[in-house]
Amino acid sequence: MEDAQKEQKKHQQKHSGPKAERKKSKRQGGATEEKDERRRNPKAFAVQSAVRMAKTFHRAQDLKAKKHHIPVVDRSSLEPPPVVVVVVGPPKVGKSTLIRCLIKNFTRQKMGDICGPVTIVSGKKRRLTFIECSNDISTMIDLAKVADLVLMLIDASFGFEMETFEFLNICQVHGFPRIMGVLTHLDSFRNNKALRKTKKRLKHRFWTEVYQGAKLFYLSGMVYGEYQTQEVKNLGRFISVMKFRPLVWQTSHPYVVADRMEDLTDPEQVRVDPKCDRTVSLYGYLRGTYLKNKGQVHIPGVGDFSVADVSFLPDPCPLPEAQKKRALNEKERLLYAPMAGVGGVVYDKDAVYIDLPGGHIHQEQEEGRPTTELVQSLIGTHSTLDAKMAASKVSLFSGTAALAGGDVDEERGKSASPGPVESLVWDPEAKRERRKAVFMEEEEEAEDDDDDDDDEGSDDEGSDDGESEGEEEEEENVEVKEMLLEREEKTDRKQRTEEVPPVKRRKAEEEEVAEMPAFADSEDELEMSEEDREVIKGEGLISELTSEGEGLTSEDESGEEKKQVKKRDAGPGDSGHCSEAENGDSENESMEQEVSITKVLGKEGKKSKVRQGEIKDGDLCYETAGALRWKEGLTQKASEAFLRQQRAAPNLRKLVYGTVVEDGAEEDEEELGGMFKVSRPDTVKRHRADLSDCSRFPPDAGRDWDLDEMLDSIRDCFVTGKWEEGQDAAMLLKEDEELYGDFEDLETGTLHQGRNQGDQEDSDEEQEEQLVKEDEVQKNKRLEKKRRLKERFNSEYDNEDATYFDDLKEEMQKQAELNRTEFDDVDDETRVQYEGFRPGMYVRLEVPSLPCEFVTHFDPHYPIILGALGPSEGNVGYLQTRLKKHRWHGRILKTRDPLILSLGWRRFQTVPLYHIEDHNGRHRLLKYTPQHMHCGATIWGPITPQGTGFLAVQSVAGTKSSFRIAATGVVLDLDKSVTIVKKLKLIGYPYKIFKNTSFIKGMFNTVLEVAKFEGASIRTVSGVRGQIKKALSTPAGAYRATFEDRLLMSDIVFLRSWFPVSVPQLYNPVTSLLLPAGQKDSWTGMRTMGQLKHDLGLRNKPSTDSLYKPVVRVQRRFNPLHIPKQLQKALPFKSKPKQDQAKAATPRHLQRTAVIREPHERKVAALLSALSTVSNYKSKKAHAAQHAKHKDFLRQKEKQEEDKMKRQKEARKKLHRMMGQKEKKKLKSSLKGTGQDD
Amino acid sequence: MTCRSLSYSSCLKHVYPHEGTLRNNNNSMASHGLIYDGCNFFRQRLVLSTLSGKRVKIRNIRSKDDNPGLRDFEASFIRLLDKVTNGTRIEINQTGTMLFYQPGLLYGGTIEHECNTQRAIGFYLEALLMLAPFMKNPLRATLKGVTNDPVDPSVDLLKSTAIPLMKQFGIDGEGLELKVVKRGVAPGGGGEVLFRCPVRRTIRPVQLTDPGKIKRIRGIAYSVRVSPQMANRIVDSARSILNKFIPDIYIYTDHMKGANSGKSPGFGLTLVAETLTGSFLSAEMSSIPQGQGDPVLPEDLGRNCAKLLLEEIYRGGCVDSANQSLALLYMTLGQQDVSKALLGPLSPYTIEFLRHVRDFFQIMFKIETRKPLDDKRKGGDKVLMTCVGAGYANISKSIK
Repeated sequence: MEDAQKEQKKHQQKHSGPKAERKKSKRQGGATEEKDERRRNPKAFAVQSAVRMAKTFHRAQDLKAKKHHIPVVDRSSLEPPPVVVVVVGPPKVGKSTLIRCLIKNFTRQKMGDICGPVTIVSGKKRRLTFIECSNDISTMIDLAKVADLVLMLIDASFGFEMETFEFLNICQVHGFPRIMGVLTHLDSFRNNKALRKTKKRLKHRFWTEVYQGAKLFYLSGMVYGEYQTQEVKNLGRFISVMKFRPLVWQTSHPYVVADRMEDLTDPEQVRVDPKCDRTVSLYGYLRGTYLKNKGQVHIPGVGDFSVADVSFLPDPCPLPEAQKKRALNEKERLLYAPMAGVGGVVYDKDAVYIDLPGGHIHQEQEEGRPTTELVQSLIGTHSTLDAKMAASKVSLFSGTAALAGGDVDEERGKSASPGPVESLVWDPEAKRERRKAVFMEEEEEAEDDDDDDDDEGSDDEGSDDGESEGEEEEEENVEVKEMLLEREEKTDRKQRTEEVPPVKRRKAEEEEVAEMPAFADSEDELEMSEEDREVIKGEGLISELTSEGEGLTSEDESGEEKKQVKKRDAGPGDSGHCSEAENGDSENESMEQEVSITKVLGKEGKKSKVRQGEIKDGDLCYETAGALRWKEGLTQKASEAFLRQQRAAPNLRKLVYGTVVEDGAEEDEEELGGMFKVSRPDTVKRHRADLSDCSRFPPDAGRDWDLDEMLDSIRDCFVTGKWEEGQDAAMLLKEDEELYGDFEDLETGTLHQGRNQGDQEDSDEEQEEQLVKEDEVQKNKRLEKKRRLKERFNSEYDNEDATYFDDLKEEMQKQAELNRTEFDDVDDETRVQYEGFRPGMYVRLEVPSLPCEFVTHFDPHYPIILGALGPSEGNVGYLQTRLKKHRWHGRILKTRDPLILSLGWRRFQTVPLYHIEDHNGRHRLLKYTPQHMHCGATIWGPITPQGTGFLAVQSVAGTKSSFRIAATGVVLDLDKSVTIVKKLKLIGYPYKIFKNTSFIKGMFNTVLEVAKFEGASIRTVSGVRGQIKKALSTPAGAYRATFEDRLLMSDIVFLRSWFPVSVPQLYNPVTSLLLPAGQKDSWTGMRTMGQLKHDLGLRNKPSTDSLYKPVVRVQRRFNPLHIPKQLQKALPFKSKPKQDQAKAATPRHLQRTAVIREPHERKVAALLSALSTVSNYKSKKAHAAQHAKHKDFLRQKEKQEEDKMKRQKEARKKLHRMMGQKEKKKLKSSLKGTGQDD
Repeated sequence: MTCRSLSYSSCLKHVYPHEGTLRNNNNSMASHGLIYDGCNFFRQRLVLSTLSGKRVKIRNIRSKDDNPGLRDFEASFIRLLDKVTNGTRIEINQTGTMLFYQPGLLYGGTIEHECNTQRAIGFYLEALLMLAPFMKNPLRATLKGVTNDPVDPSVDLLKSTAIPLMKQFGIDGEGLELKVVKRGVAPGGGGEVLFRCPVRRTIRPVQLTDPGKIKRIRGIAYSVRVSPQMANRIVDSARSILNKFIPDIYIYTDHMKGANSGKSPGFGLTLVAETLTGSFLSAEMSSIPQGQGDPVLPEDLGRNCAKLLLEEIYRGGCVDSANQSLALLYMTLGQQDVSKALLGPLSPYTIEFLRHVRDFFQIMFKIETRKPLDDKRKGGDKVLMTCVGAGYANISKSIK
């Protein structure tokens, strides 16, 4: 003890000597020394073994190649959509709190209920959309498909819950988004050690589930009901720098997470039939990839729908403009959550309100607060593509006209007056309830009245009046206000000022429809002007158009009128109208005919547009005046245009797509009310429609290939013709000579010079005055030379070690670049027609014929996702999949039990058939899925691309089972037919047996059946194989068969065959979103047979054969063995059956007689036996004593012997020692003796 | 106000969902079909329908004609589609004036088809070329019928232009083959063609913007059941014109005899100009079928065909006029990348094809007119077609 406690000797550091010096030098410049270790000790780094070297190299290359992924074209858009952050976790784990804290962290705003997606601007280049995921498995599935980042909340005080693992498994199936774990409730640990241990345990488990080293975040505790600011800030930083991997499904399908929903159905129709199908517009950021208009979408939980119209809107939550500063300012920290009522939009039962608290408005306008901006942008969002085209045309003019700016300012000043906004009737909450029911009618009516003032008169008033009798007085007030608001709204929209009155959203759509019928008188003139404009526009001479427009705007004074012009421009702007001038001569005859039709149609279309444009404002005189000015010099312009057109190629876009648009316009007209009937030359159309279908392009008769100039016109298409500047071989040769012309032959020492340079030198000597000029030329040439050399070097240098992978990557890069730049110069309206809507755009999708429950039971807590479907993904067919029961799911799955699958965007119930592939490629039906093995599953379901993963659950209602995910799998193959078979054994019995031939009956019923199976192989239970030969006439279905051996009558013959099974065609989409609020997680579809029986209390009556009965065995009797006499004779004696009988009982006379003793004798005998007993006892005792004695003796003897041995051993030892000593002595003496001798 | 620029054409409305299987579950599938009028562009519609999975209804097929309804060759074409697909549903009304077509999945495999002799094999082959890369199994089709007639592109033409075009889209390998086993000219037919094509999951985007200069001209002058000298006469006359431009001309003479020569006499010429960048321009001409008009002299035929080739060269582009729609289809069905192709003036057939592509795939092409650079000796105006592919993947091909 004392030793241990004794102080150890301390290490003495050397202060001098070589070691100290070495250390000192190391401390000073150690790094440099180590760096050139290779140089200092080259032998240590020399190649020891070529094989080893090769191996290391090989390994290094392997590792390098392993890192490679197949390069894909980067199709991400420049302005990406907000990142979808899904916050998941079991209930009461702190999801809403976390979202609230994060939102507060990013935007400094407080949110109440997290209701629907919340979009915020989190940084200069990133926006986030937070979605809270409830515990419902349908929601989890839907959100896992759209998530970019998952924040997985885990209650540390409790540990992992099943929901966490379920969600992880869902993610794994649908592409693995980035997952970040967040541990909460860490403050419930009192013991620090326990906390640490728990953290570690949870972390490691999380790692095994996600990946090694996955990020797990700790939120240590709550302060005043919120997480600690610093920790939330850190989490926010992690989120905003996170990179995301592209997921296959997401990158190949456009999708929208709707953050706003509006019912567009006609209220009258709803009133008449509350259950009518609804038309709904859904808003959200487009994600994934390009979305085409008029495609099909799937809304998980609702069904498949075709989109009527897609339009893009200004971003309600835009990224800040490019700025150099580091942080966002207060204005740019935007928050957009219309479903939660933030951003000025409030969701009510069946209407959406833009709600601004009245007291704040004035203030906010002046401050230009972000919320107002938001609302402002929202106001503008109603406009469709057409309207926006109009807006885009506006910019053409506004850039030039200074007047416009002033106007805008003026308008703003006017509208900034707080009057109408302040005294809003529907500001206070008390009124809302009442107004909500009436408001739509009111407003419409108000608007109608508004229009009526201008119109010739309409008679829709009557219907409206009846409904709103009760509140007439108020209504009148409202009407006035509405009118005011209306006006202002219009101006606002136009000017894009910041002031906005509260306006119901859906108004905007109806406005234009209501205004349609008006102004018949000014039609002609307008039409004329419009057409003329068309002629010019048709040329695509935008410059001319703009100049015209400028003239117009400069001349006109009021803003109102300007708007008119804009509107009129919008009409033709939306896509190419085919005007007569363009198409007239551009095509051959048949085309021309078509064009003439479209021309007529086009006119009609224009009329209506013009009308629409005009009705906006009542003023006519300005309009006509403007139009008249337009007409100045029109004929001249038209003729010019015509001439130009003659020379130029036809505008092909209009030729190809434009005519079609015209037709569409015509259709609209007809719908509008039979006023605009067009007498269409039907016969021509039909004639064209029934022409022969031939791809031949007949040659132009105008070109005569006998003429020399014609021949000349294609001369340069051949290699023998003239080449371009950069490609001409002769030119290239010459240039090369200049470049590489002069060189020094090192062997001979001669200097070869390019011809040009030599000449130059000569000329230098001769002509002085040309020197300057020549110098210039030479300098240029030198520069050129240098550039080319550099280029060549660059290209060679870069391609030095270009591998296949690099080439591929470069190719992809090029393609990505092309994709980016190709449509850069096209404006957005046209661009979306070419490539579809870009991801990142804020789009509005109009979906018709949605079930009314979607609207009536709308609950913003459940996500609405619009997933677009690719070509032919809207069809159904058979899907062959590979499936594995989930390891954690309790029971195996039964064939033909309905199962809910999540595949692609869809969730649906279907009836799978499980099967396994035999080695000959046959798909054999299985009754149950294997326990721990993959099996095939064929379902009837939506066509989904191969390689798409899916998961299966047995029910989406409640959380009855311990682990809800029943199976996972992947789609392998799609088909319209299936090839699953099950085993079928046909049994028959022989009824007549010849040698190897038997007649079998009972297997078939008719001769025909047998005929089908002729030649089939059959077998008996005992294994005798055979073949069906031919049917017999009687009994029906009997046949002759041959076997390899003779059968017995007791044999059973069977035929093994395979029977195709059909997959039940059940595709039942899970319509969970249509259920009433609060019951959305209780969708039940088709029940399994077991459930049905359980629910109905039915029990299957088992077949009596299947019941267990006590086993009764009859005693077996064996016959005696009979050996023939002959054989017996031949057998050896040993094997011969022994003939002798068993001995009979001894005969009486041979038996001994019993002796009966006399009493005396009996006494004697008793005495004798007693005596003998005594003697026996005595002798026995004596014997025992003797034995003990002997034993003692033996022990003694043994001991003696032992002693003796010991002694002897001792003696021997002594003896040997003595002998050894003697020997030693002897040796010693002998040594001594020799020594002495020496 | 709906967006007019994107509305459909007049002859095209949304079909009310067919009262078939799909409507059973209330809103299970919302796939709508398209409706067209008339029998023109019959193949385009059915091919695009098959590829896009959208069903199509064609009404008023020759309804005003003396002989209304589908013709035999159209029926034969439908039968061919049925052979290469699985699960296709076709309904034709009593008079044959209306056709409902619900496409199945493209199956492929080995098929044999007796093409109706009213149209040449090219009629059927053009559609097969469009479908073949998207099948489940590689296609091996034996088509029997008329190999050459004056109306449709002949098999030789497709072989020399469409096959190299397909290679540029990544459909290549030794599985791609088009072979004339027997030649049979109209009206008798009796020819046989073997077409093999591998399957692809995706189609590569292309940038065919540089047509290049023509480096050589090749051709086939064929003659069946006429004097073999005919072919030589054609060659001489054709060369007399083409020799003014380029010396590298070789026109093979192909005289088939006996069983390989079909049932009718005839002759013809196919010319192909190959450019430095590997694009092919072609022209062809064949004799008037027996009994359908005055016979033509082989010399005239050769000269006219050469002039047709010059016309084709004048039109120019990277794809010749017969294959414009094929190239545009492959561009449409490419990955979601920008594809470009420089074409000559669009043929009416192609223009209609573009409209159909928009109907079925919602893809619009950016169409720009390109004038040849510098002087005027490079033919007429060209058209640069640009599109972003639909991101189409072959859903028939199985993975295992």
